[in-house]
Amino acid sequence: MSDTPGAGSDVDDAAAGSGDASDAPDVSDRPPIEPTYSGHDDRPHLSQIQRQQTPYTESQVIMSTVKVVAPFALTFGLFVTFHGADSPGGGFQGGAIAAAVVLMIAFAFGIDATREWFTNVVVVGLAVGGVLVFGGIGLVGLVDGGTFLEYARLPIPHPVKYGMEGVEILGIAPIVAGVLVGLFFLLAAGFDDRDGAGTETEIADATTDDATTEDDR
Amino acid sequence: MALGSLDPVTTARVVLILALLAGALFFTFVSMVGVIRLPDVYARAHTASQADTLGAGFGLAAVALTLGWQGASVKTAILLFFIFVTNPTAAHAVARAAFEDGNVPWTEGDERR
Repeated sequence: MSDTPGAGSDVDDAAAGSGDASDAPDVSDRPPIEPTYSGHDDRPHLSQIQRQQTPYTESQVIMSTVKVVAPFALTFGLFVTFHGADSPGGGFQGGAIAAAVVLMIAFAFGIDATREWFTNVVVVGLAVGGVLVFGGIGLVGLVDGGTFLEYARLPIPHPVKYGMEGVEILGIAPIVAGVLVGLFFLLAAGFDDRDGAGTETEIADATTDDATTEDDR
Repeated sequence: MALGSLDPVTTARVVLILALLAGALFFTFVSMVGVIRLPDVYARAHTASQADTLGAGFGLAAVALTLGWQGASVKTAILLFFIFVTNPTAAHAVARAAFEDGNVPWTEGDERR
């Protein structure tokens, strides 16, 4: 790694930068490289290597687009979810779209920031709450002397319609959304394969350590 | 359904729909060839975004023309609007992530990759 300013041509710098990136260097161990000015005139010019050292800044284009699109996408997810019982759509598709909104926000505003906003409690709560609602609605029929998920025995008006809607909207959709977002956060945290398979604590450590290069991308 | 048995307006409409569909297929095919054959991630991202702009544009225009004046056509137009908004952003995100990763653009004279 050359710290000297202006060493080599741009092409050499670029080639070294790409090779460096593929080796996945541990940036935190190295001293930070001060931005230097190189090139044939006085214009500031960061070489590829130096640019890799600068912290990642979120893209204004992506953030603006996500800000505009996210409410519509979430509305579309709810639309698909609420149409599940009597037309194309359903809890699985709608939950996946709602989870995609969270993924989109994570890509635009940074995964760590999104993880702080959409905490693990919410993720697990969505999945577990959905399971509880699904099981609860299913068990009502069983307790009443019928079979599992026998909507007609629910003590509400239009029990078959609203029972099915309840399972779709309050049961399946939150489960799918919570599990998908949780899997995404797990994958984004990365796996520590230096000494065999990563364990739970290692993954948890990786999520709290925001100095790693993987999380910045 | 023979075209001759229809009135001229319907015939023109069917011909226009077929022309739009042909355009959609053409641009999607060009984009597909580009994604397979172009040398680096930047060029591929650029051609992949063209598939949506022109391919999906013509295709959804054909759909809207087929459906005529009804609610579903409005949904088609909204769909086209969101594709036009999100597609360039997705291409931008791909290119930006590749550059952030230190991906060197292919230039003339380099080996094919």
